[in-house]
Amino acid sequence: MSRLQGPNSLKRKRPGSTSDSLTEHERTVHDVIQGKQDMGISQRDMKREINLPDNLVTKCLKSLLAKNLIKEVKNIQSRGRKHFISVEFEPSNEITGGAWYVEGSLDTEYINVLKEQCWRKIYGLKVATLEGVTDAIKRSNVSQIELSKQQVEEIVKALVLDNEVMEVKSSGTGEFASIPVGKVCYKCIGKRGYGGEPKFGAMASIPCGVCPQISHCTPDGIISPKTCVYYKKWLDF
Amino acid sequence: MVTQYGIKYAVNLITTHFGDLVAKVCECLLRKGPLNLQAIVRFTELTSSQVKNSLLVLIQHNCVQAFVLEQPGDHGDGAKLNTQYITLFNNIIHRWRFPKFLTIVSQKLDKQCVELLEALLLHGRLTLKQMSDRAKSGQNEGDDAILDAVREAFIKLRNAHFIERCPASEPVLTKPTEEEASARKRGPKSAKILEEKETLEQRVLEAAAPPEALRFLIVTQTECAADGGKDESNSSGMAPGEKRKRDALESETECGTTDDQVVLWRANFEEFIRRLRHKACIENVRAHLDDGAIIVLGAMLEATRGAEKKVKTENSVPLSLNSIYEEVIKSEEGRNITFDRVRASLVQLSCPPFVKAVNESYSIDFKKIIELAQNEEVESIVLKRYGRDAYRMFRLLLNSGRLLETDKIADTTFVEKKDTPKILYKLWKDDYLHMEYQLVMNFGIVLVIQEKGGKKAVYYKLQLTGVRQSQFLLWKVNKNTLQEHVLDEMFHAALNLSLRVAHELEQEKELLNIPQDKRVNRLRKVRLLLESSHMKLDDAIMLFHDF
Repeated sequence: MSRLQGPNSLKRKRPGSTSDSLTEHERTVHDVIQGKQDMGISQRDMKREINLPDNLVTKCLKSLLAKNLIKEVKNIQSRGRKHFISVEFEPSNEITGGAWYVEGSLDTEYINVLKEQCWRKIYGLKVATLEGVTDAIKRSNVSQIELSKQQVEEIVKALVLDNEVMEVKSSGTGEFASIPVGKVCYKCIGKRGYGGEPKFGAMASIPCGVCPQISHCTPDGIISPKTCVYYKKWLDF
Repeated sequence: MVTQYGIKYAVNLITTHFGDLVAKVCECLLRKGPLNLQAIVRFTELTSSQVKNSLLVLIQHNCVQAFVLEQPGDHGDGAKLNTQYITLFNNIIHRWRFPKFLTIVSQKLDKQCVELLEALLLHGRLTLKQMSDRAKSGQNEGDDAILDAVREAFIKLRNAHFIERCPASEPVLTKPTEEEASARKRGPKSAKILEEKETLEQRVLEAAAPPEALRFLIVTQTECAADGGKDESNSSGMAPGEKRKRDALESETECGTTDDQVVLWRANFEEFIRRLRHKACIENVRAHLDDGAIIVLGAMLEATRGAEKKVKTENSVPLSLNSIYEEVIKSEEGRNITFDRVRASLVQLSCPPFVKAVNESYSIDFKKIIELAQNEEVESIVLKRYGRDAYRMFRLLLNSGRLLETDKIADTTFVEKKDTPKILYKLWKDDYLHMEYQLVMNFGIVLVIQEKGGKKAVYYKLQLTGVRQSQFLLWKVNKNTLQEHVLDEMFHAALNLSLRVAHELEQEKELLNIPQDKRVNRLRKVRLLLESSHMKLDDAIMLFHDF
């Protein structure tokens, strides 16, 4: 509920909670930020919530930052805007984006390294349970930070979406002999290596299949198979 | 599922094969649904004889089926009979597949059979007599040898169910059911109309189809020859089907006896499509599993094919491990496979479940195999058209089958939160996704105490309590609309390929300033690429339309 408090409740002073050296306006601004707890508030939203002139709010924020009572954080939702949070809180995952974000940006490089490592572990194990992959990753020290089972699961699920790995249920026989029946496990997709493109279908292999103008193309229109530039390029022998 | 571009594609084919006049009649029927002769004349503004002749061509080539709709008389004066014509969209599209049908026969049977089937595909419908006459005119050998060869090929084709007797020329259909009648009242734009047409098409086909016992039955040669002769003397060079239909159109009494006795044969498209479906299943599974599993799957298909009643069968009849093995060792490549290896291959095949195992008996899950192949086809379009992030998002939504919120999609697919809506929007704009908008307001339950006329009333009321509202965008893949959309795009692409071939051929005549050998060489390459792409695309069309 802390995110949804109305302006009236926020204007209440909290005796002893802030330094006495704060001006009345600074205290108001600080209370608003503190009231938002780990969610913090953007400068724009604050101007909307507090009935103070813009330049005054900016001045108060500067002074609070200098006094080390608030800190500026990156909000992944709107990276351009200034977002403030009281010093006693750590920004929530909604603000930082969670473990996969660094400075408000998705850490794609790190994610890609982990993806490939997880794929290699699954490939090595032939059929792997989530616990199996987590253990293998832990043992190999590929990540400096220890990854939780949930984080490994997120990575493996992304591999499933990439069509690099498939999710199957153990049948308890053959290659699943060591895994209890019905347990979800992961296998690498058949015949191609990591990062290989899946086989393109018939439609995706011709210009019309990937044409951004297909909805404007008609047999006798301005865009037509007779005048098509993509066809011209395709059939340039 | 006949989409807008499906119709254009079919009309283009009919134009190429039979010219503008026939195509006009065909398009009229495709767009307006079943019509009688007068209505076609009115809509196409052609003369009655032009329409009649066009219909005869279409019937001869199995693209149109005539039927009689029995309607109750207006004043209780008995039923009125009204001959109507319905296009068989699938049969029109099958015309692109004739080379594939011929390849199947060339792989299974001998050259004679291929030639005979080629003749049947070329002429649409033929009697055995005509098949023999046709063979005789092209060869110098003795008559008896040719007749024997034709008859042998004919029997081989018949035994493999590659040919069948033609359906009844004008089956009588009783009046439509109440449900259909009400669907018709809802106006031409209603989606129900499409369903109604389908059911009507199915009813017509069912009524026209020869009984299963007769479908592949061969009449005695003497009967056939006698009837064939009679037909020939009357028709003066006209194809027998045309003759028969013309007679049927013009006079119902004149040659009723001929109708009974002349047996016309045609290619059995259903069997060919079934074989192509099985082939597609094998090819799709091959991408996932090893050769052993493919041999086992092939053997299972071979053993259960005869039991399939329709093309779109969901599961094959169950087979025991022993009967699968028995079938496996029939083939050359299966002979070195051990019993245990078959068992291991079946385990492989059941994950992902291409084959379902229940109580030691195994059945092929056609539905799953086809669905997987369809998904792969669409996913690869998404990958190539919108990139890898979109591919991941699309696969997430396709597999989850429910509405998911933008942020949830971003988190699961590891895509930047600010980029996610843009990608999803693109997919939505091109009809690959369905979107819903959700507004969440803060409501609370408030206790209200009211006093009216000395009476107190206490109740709870739902009331807007906060000023904040949250907006969410939810996304999902709607499989039915997606399939229809993709199929329409495929028909569009196929039409484009065929139009481009025509354009290239036309242009070739005009480019006289380029040296001839260079021109010919280029045209050869262009045609090869366009036509082979067209055939592959047709495989994908079958995946969505016929399988």
